[in-house]
Amino acid sequence: MALTLLRGIHSNCFRLYPSVYVARKHVRHFRVRSSQGQTAMQEKQQTQLKASPKSESAKYEEVLKNYEAVIGIETHVQLSTLTKAFCSCPYNYGAHPNTSVCPVCMGLPGALPVLNSKVIESAVKVGLALNCKLSLSSKFDRKQYFYPDLPKGYQISQFDIPIAAGGYLDVDLPVEFGGGHRKFGVTRVHMEEDAGKLLHTDNGSFSQVDLNRAGVPLLEIVSEPDMRTGTEAAEYAAELQRLVRYLGVSNGNMQEGSLRCDVNISVRPHGQEEFGTKVEIKNLNSFSSVSRAIDYEILRQAQLHSQGQADQIVQETRLWEEGSQKTFTMRKKEGLADYRYFPEPDLPGVNLSEEYISTIRDSLPELPETKRRRYETMGLNMQDVLFLANDINVAAFFDATIATGADVKLAANWIMGDIAAYMNNEKLSIDDIKLTPQELGELIASIKGGTINGKIGKEILFELVAKGGTVKGLIQEKDLVQIADPSEIEKIVDKVLANNPKQLEQYRGGKTKLQGFFAGQIMKETKGKANPALLNKILLEKLNAKP
Amino acid sequence: MGSRAIMLLRANPQLFSFRSSAFPKAFQSKKRFYAAKYSLEPPDVPSLAEKARISLTPKQVEEFAPKIRQVVDWFGQLQAVDLQSIEPALRADTEGDNLRDDVPQVFDNRDAIIGAVPNYEDSYIKVPKVLNKEE
Repeated sequence: MALTLLRGIHSNCFRLYPSVYVARKHVRHFRVRSSQGQTAMQEKQQTQLKASPKSESAKYEEVLKNYEAVIGIETHVQLSTLTKAFCSCPYNYGAHPNTSVCPVCMGLPGALPVLNSKVIESAVKVGLALNCKLSLSSKFDRKQYFYPDLPKGYQISQFDIPIAAGGYLDVDLPVEFGGGHRKFGVTRVHMEEDAGKLLHTDNGSFSQVDLNRAGVPLLEIVSEPDMRTGTEAAEYAAELQRLVRYLGVSNGNMQEGSLRCDVNISVRPHGQEEFGTKVEIKNLNSFSSVSRAIDYEILRQAQLHSQGQADQIVQETRLWEEGSQKTFTMRKKEGLADYRYFPEPDLPGVNLSEEYISTIRDSLPELPETKRRRYETMGLNMQDVLFLANDINVAAFFDATIATGADVKLAANWIMGDIAAYMNNEKLSIDDIKLTPQELGELIASIKGGTINGKIGKEILFELVAKGGTVKGLIQEKDLVQIADPSEIEKIVDKVLANNPKQLEQYRGGKTKLQGFFAGQIMKETKGKANPALLNKILLEKLNAKP
Repeated sequence: MGSRAIMLLRANPQLFSFRSSAFPKAFQSKKRFYAAKYSLEPPDVPSLAEKARISLTPKQVEEFAPKIRQVVDWFGQLQAVDLQSIEPALRADTEGDNLRDDVPQVFDNRDAIIGAVPNYEDSYIKVPKVLNKEE
């Protein structure tokens, strides 16, 4: 009983305080516990807790259930173009500081920007993938402010006429958080340039600027305030990552900074139409931080509301601190910033033709949402669907394997199981392994057709994945054809029984568990090639026969 | 404000010849066109100076405010033009999209650029410590 209580309290702490990143074997991206999604297990624990004094966690539940969180996310996606947005400087993450610069990206007098055509292409791809209306005629504007990492003293961006607006993103919540489908609105997508990198020395009265990144193209994607929980927000971000990787416009890496998320969050009492005071949270470096920071902030704001101190919530920017798992005030906003926007006179307007848009639309790959729906109709369960559709290359591998006629569920199992395990161990992507979809199809067919048994199949798979080769070739080379001839198996069973008289006696005396021992010995004799079902049938017959 | 007038000016180069000699003359001329004066807000000089990161003494604020106002009002004459049915021109029209292919080209005189940086140490541009983005 005490143990159950302990377990109950323990997991409640996990749930309501910032959660731990739970690693899953075959899932690539972060999975996080959320404060929502009461499972049967948690409800059971709550009833058991009733007997104990009102714990911290129960108090938090009280507070949280009266309020609704309203969450929106601003995402900056760094495009993986070869050159910067407005000059031909190459961009390579991790290059030596200030090696990829020129008068344009350094903002030297007289330098003029020239737009990289790939930037428009990427923006249109993303706009279409997010189901937006494209602006056939948009423009660039100057966003003016002073900061050491902004060489020109202004950022070239798009203010009032973004290239795409009014779209949405379909998201499937992970199975472990209750699953479910969500549709989150996308307010706008626009093009802009990145600033350089500013590094602060710990001591010292100076900072350091690296302009390699200045001028790198970004797409800013602003969502509608449609998310309600940390989990929803994290999944929205994860789906954006999936999308930009599918489209090949960015590596969408939060740790490297090619995908950056700022969260806007407010709470309001249930039923209230008015939004509460909005707080911005920055410095989120992973999807799990997004989720945990939101959970923390919802609680912080809800508690202030419930204590009658809602006026303590001010419109400000807070930083998420990974170490303490809390948000802290960065600075209070002293009025809104005046960026003195005006149209960029050095750049022509961005005009899109219907023809251009059609060409791009036709070149789009099957998007994650469409793929997930298709996999569902193929009879796969949601967990399989989410795994297979997560990485476009894995999905392609799966599709190619199915195309050879292989059984859908078996193909999914092999990819999600042994193949994924190998990729994780060796830190390889599916394009790096030596196994081809055709050979996987052949392997599945060989097992199904009875040429080899499952265990041998696993061994062959390992060889194929690591070294390549063909299924047929390996079967022949190593003489792996399954032994399914009953008379042959009988001979071996007899031999093994004869060689182990003591165990036979013990078995007949009642120690029936020894069947496993005999089965193992027989398998060893056949070098693993015996058909397991047939083996056990014949073995059982002989064991139970009258001596 | 003045920036809108500047936009109009750039878009319609025929309206005003922006030669440096023309400007001071209009400035000093006693025959000034006041028609548009009162529809434009007087400039908030301290705020403007703050945004441009130019420090002004109170005496200088007092001195410059009327002069800046005169410049703004001079541009304000443009408000007399009837633009009801005319779309704002955002820029002098250029031919085509002026796009560039995504082909890398390393700038060949990086040394000269770096050489011109006043404070360069350990491959970084050295700047005073600024923690907050203040606009």
